[in-house]
Amino acid sequence: MPVDEIKPTRAGLLIVRRRMALAERIHRLLAMKLDGMMLELVKLTDRAALQRRELEEQYTRAREMVAVAAMMEGATGVLLAALSVETTPIYTARQKNVFGVRLPELEPVMVKKTLEQRGYGILGTTSVIDDAADAYEDLLETIIASAELEGGVRRLLDDIERTRRRVNALEFKVIPELTQLRRFIEDQRDEIERQDLVRLRRIKRIKAKRAEKP
Amino acid sequence: MPLPGMTSPSFIYACTRFRVRRTALLPREEYLRLMRMSIPEIIAHLGRCLEYAREIANLTPDFSGAQLIEEAVNHSLARSFRSSMAIAPGDLQILTREYLTRWDIANVMAILRGTVHNIPGQQVRDLLIPAGEIDSALLDHLLSLTTCGETIEALQDWRLYPVLAESYRVCGEKGVFAQIENELYRHYYAGLLDPGRTRCSGCQELNAYLRFEIDITNMRNLLRLHCAEEACNLAVIDQTMIPGGRIPIRHFRRLYGIETEEEFVSAFLETDIVPVLAQAVRDLRRDPGFSSIDAAELVWQRWHQRQRPIHEVEIAVTRIRLHRLESLSKRHPFSILPVLAYLERKKYEVANLRAIARGKAFGLPTERVWQYIVL
Repeated sequence: MPVDEIKPTRAGLLIVRRRMALAERIHRLLAMKLDGMMLELVKLTDRAALQRRELEEQYTRAREMVAVAAMMEGATGVLLAALSVETTPIYTARQKNVFGVRLPELEPVMVKKTLEQRGYGILGTTSVIDDAADAYEDLLETIIASAELEGGVRRLLDDIERTRRRVNALEFKVIPELTQLRRFIEDQRDEIERQDLVRLRRIKRIKAKRAEKP
Repeated sequence: MPLPGMTSPSFIYACTRFRVRRTALLPREEYLRLMRMSIPEIIAHLGRCLEYAREIANLTPDFSGAQLIEEAVNHSLARSFRSSMAIAPGDLQILTREYLTRWDIANVMAILRGTVHNIPGQQVRDLLIPAGEIDSALLDHLLSLTTCGETIEALQDWRLYPVLAESYRVCGEKGVFAQIENELYRHYYAGLLDPGRTRCSGCQELNAYLRFEIDITNMRNLLRLHCAEEACNLAVIDQTMIPGGRIPIRHFRRLYGIETEEEFVSAFLETDIVPVLAQAVRDLRRDPGFSSIDAAELVWQRWHQRQRPIHEVEIAVTRIRLHRLESLSKRHPFSILPVLAYLERKKYEVANLRAIARGKAFGLPTERVWQYIVL
């Protein structure tokens, strides 16, 4: 029943009280969820920042290793080794539930490979190619881990924003409106009660006057 | 026909031509000058060099920067090696062709991989360096074929065709190309170390040099195998070690299983790689006190930590190897050795120019780039 349609009756007051209790309970729960999500966000952001730093270091290292490989084997040698790749690295995506928010869980598949899995012949290449491949495999793994954490932070932020809006709506709109309505109904009911009392007294007085007259 | 024990005039002429060609290669001062130049200055400088001017002029419309330098030096290498095969007479030519087969292996493997993985022909063509027996026309023909089987069939006249023919059925399966490539290189070395070829001039010295090269390659690859996270089985070692070196393969298998320092150092000291390695580190670190035992301990540290060989040390070992080849070619001026000395020096000249260009393109400091230069 919309707030406007609630009548200032006892039943109306009961409806408002019930709604108030519900709104306060939801507000308390959402406020607790918000606190929990904030704590999780702080933890996740710290990890994501560390991971991002590691990613930058891995990227610098990978660039350096590929520079050395290009110097020793030439871009041609590096590309020939790259041509040998038989299995494309991928990742599998799952989701984990944190405070009702679905955070991504990414698992690298065939990113870190053994010498045999890389597909190039050992006798046709040198150790610089191994080093460059290692560095890029590490970089790819860090990219996936970083994407998982940063994706989680983004989803958590979205949900925090949504929850905060709900908490604010409850705190500053729904609960004050219901409080006002309850007060209004109580005032109305008091007024009706007073009117009834006055009317009864008046009737009683009239009755008493009539009884005095012969 | 020359009398037995006498060297034919064409042989002397060819060897002299190779010696002259060697003197035309870039001297140390030229590298020092190039190191101080920017990439456009290097391109302009190479454009004035007799050896690279034609390639720079031809490739300028298609490439730029470090890529232009790399393509130009690769084209120059291919032209130079093909003309070397053409001017070498008789046995010298056969050996030169056989020595340059390693370029064919790289080209054939690139084409096979490109065919199986459906990589555009032009993309694969850009990676080929036709410096071996297989000329550009045949490479283009191979690139136009659509299946692995057709490519292998078209290589029937190639000296390593029997190795490829064995893998005809499994062509394209996962992991097979690496095995084929390893097998091709093993047969390549086996062909070079042909025991029936000991009577030619310089062949015994060539064999000794090749066996030394095989030992270094095997040791380097053993370190690569050991540094992998999973331990490989001994069959893999047998498949990746090149037979014919002075160090028998069973010694490498023994080394692979060792986990204690004393045992490893004593087993490693038995190999003839140690003095060369010690010399390389002495040269690199300018430390005259670096002994063979220090070298063995250095290898143990890398081995124990499952790390790969240090690239700078590898380069230093290559310098010593080339120096040995140079000395041998001077001691045997009318043999296969001056030809090989020229081919190797040319190969490393190209590698040096490429290293300078790539190092500058990646913005590496000059001192760092200089460590990768083989002089």
